[in-house]
Amino acid sequence: MKIIMKPIEMIAWFNNTNYPIPLRFKIETEDKTNVVIKIDKIIFKEEEKIAGNRMVLYRCEGVIDNLKRIFELKYELATCKWFLFKM
Amino acid sequence: MNDRIVFHIDVNSAYLSWEAAYNLQMGSNLDLREVPSIVGGDQEKRHGIVLAKSIPAKKYGIKTGESVYSALEKCPQLIVVEPHYTRYMKASKAMVDFLYDYSPYIQRYSIDEVFLDYSNGNLPYMEAAVKMKEGIKKELGFTVNIGIGSNKLLAKMASDFTKPDRIHTLFYDEIEEKMWPLPVEDLFMIGHRTKKKLNSRGIFTIGELARLDRDYIYSWLKKPGILIWEYANGIENSDVRADKSKVKSVGNSTTLPFDVTSRDEALKVLLGISEMVGMRLRELNMKSQVISVSLKTSEFFSYSHQKKLYIPTSSTNTIYKMASALFDEMWDGNPLRCFSISLSSLLDENFIQLSLFEDFNEKDILLDKSIDNLRVKFGQDSIIRSSFLYSGIDPIIGGVVAEESYPMMSSYL
Repeated sequence: MKIIMKPIEMIAWFNNTNYPIPLRFKIETEDKTNVVIKIDKIIFKEEEKIAGNRMVLYRCEGVIDNLKRIFELKYELATCKWFLFKM
Repeated sequence: MNDRIVFHIDVNSAYLSWEAAYNLQMGSNLDLREVPSIVGGDQEKRHGIVLAKSIPAKKYGIKTGESVYSALEKCPQLIVVEPHYTRYMKASKAMVDFLYDYSPYIQRYSIDEVFLDYSNGNLPYMEAAVKMKEGIKKELGFTVNIGIGSNKLLAKMASDFTKPDRIHTLFYDEIEEKMWPLPVEDLFMIGHRTKKKLNSRGIFTIGELARLDRDYIYSWLKKPGILIWEYANGIENSDVRADKSKVKSVGNSTTLPFDVTSRDEALKVLLGISEMVGMRLRELNMKSQVISVSLKTSEFFSYSHQKKLYIPTSSTNTIYKMASALFDEMWDGNPLRCFSISLSSLLDENFIQLSLFEDFNEKDILLDKSIDNLRVKFGQDSIIRSSFLYSGIDPIIGGVVAEESYPMMSSYL
């Protein structure tokens, strides 16, 4: 996996547990078209607080270009922003 | 008293480590700690001094406090990062929260230094220290030095021995071996002036200072002399103050991108700072009794004067009046670069003792209150003094520091 760290638009599900659950996100590709990627499975999630900044890391599985891929998402609690961290 | 165990936890090149850890978290593939880099002010506005440096930057002879410009001369490929104070507050708070798992007796000594009393800890102290150090590294992503000693002074001296990511002890029986051979300026509270004085009488190491006769040092340097003599002997017994200390002073400063040569301009800068410190003081519902102004010339030479007031004040007008009086007292006409005003010996606002010898205008309080309210409601620049129009000087100066009270180093433990 390569580090990408791009902000993404996200639809997530907030239930009564600690962390939101990402469902699908939209990202702009190199040719300026938008692609929606559905998250099929969350493999694991963990909270990190590097330098005091709380972020939740999700390792997920989803289908991109008809290929099953693994990628990592990050959610920054202080700003409520989602990022595509690695793919 | 002899079995106290005090930890001093000190973040290694704090601002830089935090900046590096944050960047890594945000997906950067460069660790600033491994390349020559500094955290420093804005180069474009020429605000720059070096606030923190990486260890590779240190090898180029870059020193904290010098200008970014001269640092770049020493190492042209140096990476300069702008400071982000709110990030540092967050990181510092996360560290303190982490340490509360080990002891409730924690004193935040500054943004990156913490004293922790581990006298009644339930682990052997070394084990606890290793756990803290490794825990902070793993969870928070930065390294610390931990000094362990029989009191705060020894702990602080110990954490300074070798860096980074180390644990050192300094108990009473280790003073002679570990602390006394160090140069005298390494001792807490000894700055370059005291160093000069001591050196002039042939005192170059902490040990030489410690072995002096107590009466001799008193007759020479008076009370401060006794203090450093006691420190040199490892005598210090203040508590780790767990309670949240109240704000002790409020101050703001600014470094200008140009030299100020006229009195008129300098006073305007002071007025701008007065606005800021006054506003902050009133926000705390406090009044101040001591005003101090310090100036730095374009040659980095600095001087300051202070004055005690008969009537405690929080009025912008009074602060400005006093500041300009102090300014006139000390300015010798040299071009100035840096101005700062600091208000101390703060009192609660509730009642004040008036004086016959100083003016007191109740309307000032109302005026300041209305101005503050307007600024809160409509923004800081909604109401400004017309003297600032077209002057090129900001009407309210200062305030990079985050709103939360920012723990600052003090000269006592």
